[in-house]
Amino acid sequence: MPRRREPRPAPALELKTTRLAGIQVILNSAEHAALDTHLSTLFAATPDFFGGEAAVFECGRLPADAASPDWAWLARELKSRGLNPFAVQNASAELAAAAQQAGLLVLNDVAPAPTAAEPEPVPEPEAVPAPEPAPSATAPTRIIDKPLRSGQRVYAAGGDIVVLAAVNPGAEVIADGSIHVYAPLKGRALAGARGDTSARIFTTHLEAELVSIAGVYRTFDAAPDAAVARKPAQIRLADASQIVIEPL
Amino acid sequence: MTTIITVTSGKGGVGKTTTSASIASGLALRGFKTAVIDFDVGLRNLDLIMGCERRVVYDFVNVIQGDANLHQVLIKDKHCDNLFVLPASQTRDKDALTEEGVEKVLKELEHQGFDYIVCDSPAGIEHGAVMALTFADEAIVVTNPEVSSVRDSDRILGIIQSKSRRAIEGREPVKEHLLVTRYSPKRAHEGEMLTYTDIQELLRIPLLGVIPESEAVLQASNQGIPAIHQKATPVADAYQDAIGRFLGEEHPLRFVEYEKPGLIKRLFGGK
Repeated sequence: MPRRREPRPAPALELKTTRLAGIQVILNSAEHAALDTHLSTLFAATPDFFGGEAAVFECGRLPADAASPDWAWLARELKSRGLNPFAVQNASAELAAAAQQAGLLVLNDVAPAPTAAEPEPVPEPEAVPAPEPAPSATAPTRIIDKPLRSGQRVYAAGGDIVVLAAVNPGAEVIADGSIHVYAPLKGRALAGARGDTSARIFTTHLEAELVSIAGVYRTFDAAPDAAVARKPAQIRLADASQIVIEPL
Repeated sequence: MTTIITVTSGKGGVGKTTTSASIASGLALRGFKTAVIDFDVGLRNLDLIMGCERRVVYDFVNVIQGDANLHQVLIKDKHCDNLFVLPASQTRDKDALTEEGVEKVLKELEHQGFDYIVCDSPAGIEHGAVMALTFADEAIVVTNPEVSSVRDSDRILGIIQSKSRRAIEGREPVKEHLLVTRYSPKRAHEGEMLTYTDIQELLRIPLLGVIPESEAVLQASNQGIPAIHQKATPVADAYQDAIGRFLGEEHPLRFVEYEKPGLIKRLFGGK
């Protein structure tokens, strides 16, 4: 009788490539005062938005003659708000040297950030500050087949979520990707929780309390249009700032 | 085999204690040895509804803390020989209920050959309510036909599914039953109340019964006689039906359709 081979023990250390999901912190200015003010206003309403994500400083938009920002201070400030900056990219030689001094890595050969042709648009009043889009979802889809009841919350980190039973009022479905609810959606649905503006919400019965995509949300104090209320519907983001609800 | 039934709702004032008293009495009337435990430590009510408040010497907390034995605490019901009441403490607070203590008392009741243990849960979702549902085999979720009660029932169902022993140990889940109480077919018909089908659609658990709103309940409470003993009232009949369904019998739903009063009824009165 053939003996079963003993499984080989895993080596103590393995090397594999990985794609790191993280946040780009795009610097438009290197001035201490301007950065300080903007950081405070940006995080005032949502101090706990981040939960220890890795972050990279993108320097491609800084004016060529900009003096080096105070890297050590900037890194400390972001750390205190749940981001872990570890590197700079697209930095001039002078900036890179200062960053290295402050213990940051210097990344080369990275695609530059899209140049800001126009000044920063004034954010929509109801838009929560959203981080830069995370890389597309790679995590497996999460499937829920029991009703989500008031007070229950599920979160699909890094991917989509499919709910086959009702999402009751007071329940919350959150996904970094899209949300599919093949039953009445009566609670809250938040897709693109890490800023993926291409995420969508689909349901066979729209009666939600709140929907949100990449931080842009809409409540339904007044009932939604008759064309979609209690009917199959899709919710997506248009122009990165407008919630669009369409019948399916 | 002892079956532990938790009567719960989330919201207060919906009829948990009335239901606990009537379900426990109904099971006892059918010959099952039954105990009904008041988990509402600090706001003891069950003894009043069961009409045994003057016979309380020791209470649930006394057994948990070992100051009295179960035999001294169980109060025999006036109407049924095989029904026993375990009253709550009026002077302690709910933290006196420990998980080990509750488990010990339930185990002891099991050894004494009880068929059913009915746990009357306090309102809310705090410690007392969680203790009442931790050891449940079946749960009767009492809901009134109004939105806040339905939402709270939904919440408590979520807690049953996450905090009960059966859920934590990954055994067969707690069997859930919906009992709609204080139902007025007329007001549901006129759209002032949710209908029982609305409630069931949202909570999505099997319907055990619909108990009509009735003055007989208040009267029963004040007399200390569980409503199920009010012979020939719709409330008592509805509770009997619910117990039958709980035991696997089939009964058509009664007292849920609104009939417009006819001319004769209007002329000669009657409710």
